[in-house]
Amino acid sequence: MAERQQQRAMAGGARIGLMAIFAAFFRLGVTSFGGGTAAWLYRAIVQRRHWVDDQAYLVDVGLSRVLPGSAGVNLTVQVGQRLRGGWGALAAVFGLLSGPLFIVVGLAAGFARIAGSPVAHAFLDGVAGSAIGLTFATGLVLVPRGRTEIGQIMITIATVVAIGVLRWPMLPVILCLAPVGIGLALVQRPGRG
Amino acid sequence: MPGDWRVLLALIFVFGPLSLFSIGGGASLLAEIEHQSVAVHHWTTHREFADLFAISRAAPGPGTMLSTLIGWHVAGWPGALAATVALYLPSSLLVFGASRLWGRWRGSVWHGAIERGLSPIAAGLMLAGGLAVLQAAGGAAVWAAAAVATGVLLRWPRLNPLILFGASGVLFAVAALFGR
Repeated sequence: MAERQQQRAMAGGARIGLMAIFAAFFRLGVTSFGGGTAAWLYRAIVQRRHWVDDQAYLVDVGLSRVLPGSAGVNLTVQVGQRLRGGWGALAAVFGLLSGPLFIVVGLAAGFARIAGSPVAHAFLDGVAGSAIGLTFATGLVLVPRGRTEIGQIMITIATVVAIGVLRWPMLPVILCLAPVGIGLALVQRPGRG
Repeated sequence: MPGDWRVLLALIFVFGPLSLFSIGGGASLLAEIEHQSVAVHHWTTHREFADLFAISRAAPGPGTMLSTLIGWHVAGWPGALAATVALYLPSSLLVFGASRLWGRWRGSVWHGAIERGLSPIAAGLMLAGGLAVLQAAGGAAVWAAAAVATGVLLRWPRLNPLILFGASGVLFAVAALFGR
């Protein structure tokens, strides 16, 4: 099964090694400042390496946010699994977490006092603000935009308004919108381009 | 030392269940972690917790390295490892099982329709997640930074976001130094 998934993902390219997966996610872990792991992962794994496509990425994003736990780690487990099964998931999660683990403890050991200062807080606010911008930019790129996809666009807008603006609970909102989206997909059938 | 074992077990029993109850992301988790480590177990004081939280924000990676720091604070490296594994292992196993199960149905008409049908919702969830973090972060300046960064990254998708983050952070720090 893993073979088939991988072929889908890579259009018949070479098998991705565990070390390559570990290295890619290690780099992702130590460069993804400001949270928003999903957006960083999109850049590193989908756009730069083409290891999974947009559709698979979005499926994984959806599940990563619905299930409990850190969305970034959940997404990493799923993408790792797509690439190389259980070992791939393990390599990806170890890669993602090992760098930040050492960095965060190093910071705590060395800079505990600096972290409490107002200027440091302001700096982190600045980083956090632009990091949210990265999440927005990535989300907007993934919004469907074809002429035949007005229904899909409305679903995206409804999701944002209900969960992001009105702060309605996520699961009921998804349970209401999912049948609409799936119905549309059944009626329209593949043909994305 | 038996005392150390007890602390490690306590870390595992606090962060393990949190792993599975943290639906909808970090914010709800944060309040519970604070309650447990300050009021229940006295692992940190309020002040220490605030410092550890600030440090966890400064580090790269998924937002919840806070548990790692609390583990390290009370029990050194074994504590850091125990807290990290306890927080991430249960939820990772759950998502692993779910996506494996889902992969079994690949190829059926319904499988494709459900994946295509859910993807506009997933895109919406990403945007809604960003909005939720913004509302929690407060400040008009943070909103402005997010808006500017969104525009810049849409206009120049190949720009390394770290440059943008650094510039934005320095701008905020300078404003805090000289502002008001």
